[in-house]
Amino acid sequence: MTTTTAERVLGARERPTSPWQLALRRLLRHRSGLVGGGIILFLLFVALFAPLLAPYDPNDVLLGKEEGIRRRQKPCIYLLGCPKDQPQHIMGLDGNARDVFSRVIYGTRVSLFVGFTTVTVAILAGTVLGAVAGYVGGWVDNLIMRFMDVLLAFPALLLAIAIVTVLGRGLQNALLAIAIVSTPVYARVVRASVLSVKEREFVLAARALGASHLLILVKHILPNSLPPLIVQATLGIATAILDAAALSFLGLGAQPPTAEWGSMLGEERNQVFTAPHLVFFPGLAIMITVLAFNLLGDALRDALDPRLHQE
Amino acid sequence: MRRLIWLLLVVVAVSLAACAQATPAPTEAPKPTEAPKPTEAPKPTEAPKPTEAPAFEPLVVTDESCESSKVKEIKALDEYTVQFTLCKPDPAFLAKIAFQPFFIRPREWIEANANEANKETLLTQPVGTGPYKIEKWFRGDKIVFKRFEDYWGEPAKTETLVFRWAKEGAQRLLELQAGTADYITKVSPDDFETVKNDPNLVLLPVRNPNIFYIAFINTVKPFDDVRVRRAIAMGIDRERIVKNYYPEGSEVADFFTPCVIENGCVGEPWYSFDPEAANKLLDEVGLTKNDEGVRFETKIYYRDVFRVYLPEPSKVAVEIQNQLMENLGIKAEVIVMESGEFIAKSTAGELDGLYLLGWGADYLHVTNFLDFHFSKNNPQYGEPYPEIYEPLEKAATIADPEEARPYYEEANNAIRELVPMIPVAHGAAADAARADVKNAKAAVLGPPELWTFEPEGRDTLVYLKAAEPISLYCADETDGESLDACKMVTEGLYQYTADGEMVPRLAEKCEITENSTVVTCTLRKGVKFHDGSTLDANDVVRSFDALLNEASPYHVGNTGAFEYPSYFFGLMNKQE
Repeated sequence: MTTTTAERVLGARERPTSPWQLALRRLLRHRSGLVGGGIILFLLFVALFAPLLAPYDPNDVLLGKEEGIRRRQKPCIYLLGCPKDQPQHIMGLDGNARDVFSRVIYGTRVSLFVGFTTVTVAILAGTVLGAVAGYVGGWVDNLIMRFMDVLLAFPALLLAIAIVTVLGRGLQNALLAIAIVSTPVYARVVRASVLSVKEREFVLAARALGASHLLILVKHILPNSLPPLIVQATLGIATAILDAAALSFLGLGAQPPTAEWGSMLGEERNQVFTAPHLVFFPGLAIMITVLAFNLLGDALRDALDPRLHQE
Repeated sequence: MRRLIWLLLVVVAVSLAACAQATPAPTEAPKPTEAPKPTEAPKPTEAPKPTEAPAFEPLVVTDESCESSKVKEIKALDEYTVQFTLCKPDPAFLAKIAFQPFFIRPREWIEANANEANKETLLTQPVGTGPYKIEKWFRGDKIVFKRFEDYWGEPAKTETLVFRWAKEGAQRLLELQAGTADYITKVSPDDFETVKNDPNLVLLPVRNPNIFYIAFINTVKPFDDVRVRRAIAMGIDRERIVKNYYPEGSEVADFFTPCVIENGCVGEPWYSFDPEAANKLLDEVGLTKNDEGVRFETKIYYRDVFRVYLPEPSKVAVEIQNQLMENLGIKAEVIVMESGEFIAKSTAGELDGLYLLGWGADYLHVTNFLDFHFSKNNPQYGEPYPEIYEPLEKAATIADPEEARPYYEEANNAIRELVPMIPVAHGAAADAARADVKNAKAAVLGPPELWTFEPEGRDTLVYLKAAEPISLYCADETDGESLDACKMVTEGLYQYTADGEMVPRLAEKCEITENSTVVTCTLRKGVKFHDGSTLDANDVVRSFDALLNEASPYHVGNTGAFEYPSYFFGLMNKQE
């Protein structure tokens, strides 16, 4: 068995940790990041176990099924003074007499699915485009990045609305539209990282050893571009959830009777004075989710950016 | 010296040229034969005396071909008699001309303003015989009307009438509560209780005849089978829809036409809710349930636009979606469409599923409901049904409602049997007013009779609607806001009262003769227009000429579409 000089000098306990371990350590010290992460874990739990947590089917119209209920009924909680013999709907009933609490719970599934799916698609597309542009350079770089610039020139939501108008309404098309409008950001981030990494010594060494371009890109360059991408992705999920909610609010995303927070808000927007609970709860759900991803994203940026930790 | 000579020459030349211009060239001079002869000049003795009124020269508009219009001729017989000759009998003629687009304006005003140059005056400065005359239209803000002091009938109770608008129902209610409005339209159903519980306000139910229906297109499978349509008709709990999604006062529709309209609900009433029989019928057809309990999949199309006949479209769509699945095992996808596209596609019969649509009365006659929807030229339900349109065609030639009754009964029974659509609801709506406004009452059709309202201690009445009028030349408008404003300023030969009764207004009476094809109207005498002129038969002929005769030089409007005249009668002398 052999040991390196560094290990001999520092001893086993003082072995230098990897940048990832350092980042994790910094992240665990980040309070708001922990709050964000905790909320996200909770939301993931709610989404996964929605059928167990929701007292009703989210699309179940309860008219005629439960006695003494009416549409847009206010929240009824026994502990807060609601008669015990009345059906307990802790977030009330919506305009079709469906249980709002169950719909908010199932809405978590849709929103997280939208966030993760669109960002995954956008990251894949953005990474390929950004990596090719940054690594190949020249006219390929120019072509790809100018196209990305064109996409970036439009306000994201407006472009998404235009795409959905062409493709047709529906959650699937909304996902695609949001993925398309999110792609340029990731392409830019990856390209910038590739440009900074590709001239470094270990890449030149790999090239000198005869490694293929693909191998260099996948094994040496892209792993070193990950930190900014992770930060961007976390913040991107929040944006994607907001965009999807906005599209559904406008009637372009999830279609009835799908329980989606944006469409729940949109359907009952005129009841803001008469039945505020119908807009309050889905609105609150959107706010908490977006806030959680933003908190985590900020914490990740702090944790992964070495320039902020050069002590 | 040479300069002086040149100057003199120039002066002489200019003088000569001026003289030449002053004297016309012989070729340009009027020929002696073209000059007016002295004998042709009016003799002093022939000139009308200032005190004598000019002789009445009756106007006439004709379209002998009867190809594009149901009206053959409109003729002034004398100063106070107008005759309409129709191409074929139209039992709803008087009911149609009682609608605002057919109201009367002065002949001279039309001739002066119905052109492109004076279009702004035409559209914004109406002149009529109504109880109010327009003072000023503050675009984007309000329209101010003043009492017409020379009104032939009982003058308006308030000196000033103000039309304002606010898009949101909540905002209209706030204004009413604050006292900045005296009367508001279209109270949101959720605010009914608020208005009722406020002692300063009064809720005024509107009984505007309307129908909400679920339509099928019989060229789309499986709706090409009448048994499927019938099964759905029996499998939808319409009472539950009306009870839960419609405001108080709404009714379950047992016929397409509301019963308030004569001959509207004659025949067998609609199927009662019977999911068992409905499922049996679907089993018979062979549309059995699969493992998931689904017989077949379809779509429900609608537009998300508030209408009195369908106040909550998205909620009702989801309710129907839910009922189809629960009661019948039919899985439906709900598809909301842009309003214009939805109307275009549904009325053209181009939707591959069910669709939710409705209709509000334009005039109070059964033809406005049945003939428009079930005529042989209407493709909105796919292939037209002769069993329905044939009795309607026969009924349309009969003026006497009692005589026409058996045909309407036959048509209603055929509708029930063939189920081109399912009549669901006659929606109710409500306006609201300040409690201290005397005589406040909503009208069955059109705006309330604001000239009869008396707000206590105020000489200004503020009327708040949902939108600003488009123009005040209602011959070429279709929006309710414009039509409401026009009713304050202009009047028709006939008009509907607030209770929906059709009464003569500018006409003393109209007589229908010669197998319902000749309508002769005698005008009220001594009626003044706001410009001081007196109503005569030529004003009526010119008003109808401008809106109905496409060949008239005065056939000018806001868009030029003249939708209501075109839809009610067809345009005369229409160029293909």
